[in-house]
Amino acid sequence: MSVCEIQGLIRDYGNGRGVFDLSFAIHQGEVFGFLGPNGAGKTTTIRHLMGFLKPEKGYCTIGGMDCWKDRADIQKTLGYIPGEMVFFDDMTGLEFLSFMAKYRRIKSNGRTRELLDRFELDARGKLKKMSKGMKQKIGIVAAFMHDPEVLVLDEPTSGLDPLMQNRFIELMLEERARGKTILMSSHMFEEVERTCSRVAIIKNGKLVALDNVEALKAAQARKYVITLEDEDAAAAFAGEGLRVYEVSHNQVTVIVQSNIKELLSVMNRYPVINILTPNQSLEEIFMQYYGGGRS
Amino acid sequence: MINWTLYKRGIRESWKMLAIFAAVITMYFTIIISMFDPALGSALNEFAKAMPELMAIVGMTPATAELVSFLEAYLYGFIMLVFPMLYCILSANKLIVRHVDRGSMTYLLSAPVKRETVAFTQMKVMVTGLFALVFYATLLGLVNCEISFPGELNIRKFILLNIGALCLQLYVGGICFLSSCIFNDSKYALGVGAGIPVLGFIIQMMANAGKELEKMKYATFFTLFDSEGIIAGEPDAIWGMIALCAGAMVLFSSAIVVFSRKDLHI
Repeated sequence: MSVCEIQGLIRDYGNGRGVFDLSFAIHQGEVFGFLGPNGAGKTTTIRHLMGFLKPEKGYCTIGGMDCWKDRADIQKTLGYIPGEMVFFDDMTGLEFLSFMAKYRRIKSNGRTRELLDRFELDARGKLKKMSKGMKQKIGIVAAFMHDPEVLVLDEPTSGLDPLMQNRFIELMLEERARGKTILMSSHMFEEVERTCSRVAIIKNGKLVALDNVEALKAAQARKYVITLEDEDAAAAFAGEGLRVYEVSHNQVTVIVQSNIKELLSVMNRYPVINILTPNQSLEEIFMQYYGGGRS
Repeated sequence: MINWTLYKRGIRESWKMLAIFAAVITMYFTIIISMFDPALGSALNEFAKAMPELMAIVGMTPATAELVSFLEAYLYGFIMLVFPMLYCILSANKLIVRHVDRGSMTYLLSAPVKRETVAFTQMKVMVTGLFALVFYATLLGLVNCEISFPGELNIRKFILLNIGALCLQLYVGGICFLSSCIFNDSKYALGVGAGIPVLGFIIQMMANAGKELEKMKYATFFTLFDSEGIIAGEPDAIWGMIALCAGAMVLFSSAIVVFSRKDLHI
């Protein structure tokens, strides 16, 4: 059964920006990754889910309720981490959390305590003086403290250090085990890979892929930068029939999808000095997913 | 329809600003009331006679010897217009558009609280402050007059005058609040929300100044607050108050509707 449904959503900001005829559905108990480069329309989509924006065309529902008309009712069982953390600056972290609890009319503070401990957060300081990571943690606690059934998370780990990113991923896995439905947007494939069962990829406001995370992983091509002794060797290496992305001086960049062994055997025969796997932007991964190669 | 947690926070946030305005009002009330002299006419009246144009611009026309019309002329033509107006402008801006502009509105709306409730609660905060300010001024006037000139003040007329001032300021507040709800950017909200009342006030000052400019009074809602008429007991002045009050209700209701229906890029 789908908990969250987006159907034919359109919001045109002009200049090709916005969301265009977006449709997908998230099932009960699923962690759904929502991937796309910056400016692809992830946050715009999420604003529709939150009832901040009214769809120009199409509709979104959560728990069978319309995201625009029934937005206040939906919020009863929804937790949200906004893409940008802006609080009321004059409050301390604890004051803010207790304000939110009272504002939501919820009581239990045990959950809040537990979350603060989990993220090793001392929330007694003024929000204004908190680092980005600390603010992010406050946002996480505020989103989870009322134990919501549905979670909408807009780049939830931004600003967190790797240790805390791990803690957060653990929290997500626990919530998934408890049957919670989660939509998580990200521009980092690695993060989504570890938690999500299905992934939608959006680019320029259009859905470009919707698949199991395994399928995406299998299709993901990696880039390797191989440094050879000299330019001649590099030129010869490039002529070996591998998928070459770029040759510059004594460096050859190749794209490898499943033929890693082939690369290794070629490398064996050449004077390789160094091998590097540069961080790939999500965009590059998508481009390869679509077999576009270099665009 | 009201969220008390938000309301309490709003009040806690407003009281410092209110205290400053109250202090300024206290200063003016105390000084000006002390200048009243029932026997000789006041020093201010001498000013008014010496420079009638200048004094008329700020609504200070020579008053009769009655204390209540003295207060009307010297406090309710400028001080009690400008300071509560300033409060409305700042408060309206802080309560809605600043949260939208900065993004902190996200947290107020990612909770099971209707947008109507958020806007209504914030409106309540602003109106509470306005009531408090005018109520304080009324009390201040009464106490000051009773101490310095026992029995001289026509209390009924003075209270009516304050109700009139409150109606006017509710209307001003309505404009500011509507503007705060329409715009997503503090700059524009402030420009329009402050611009309209300030322009109205300037037009009134010009209308006060000269005979040929007097017709300009029809171009500003400030004319509906006819403080002299209230003191003189003219029924039209009461109708003006009612019109302002009704206008304020329309403005506030529209503000809540606009805020509930608009797209928020937060």
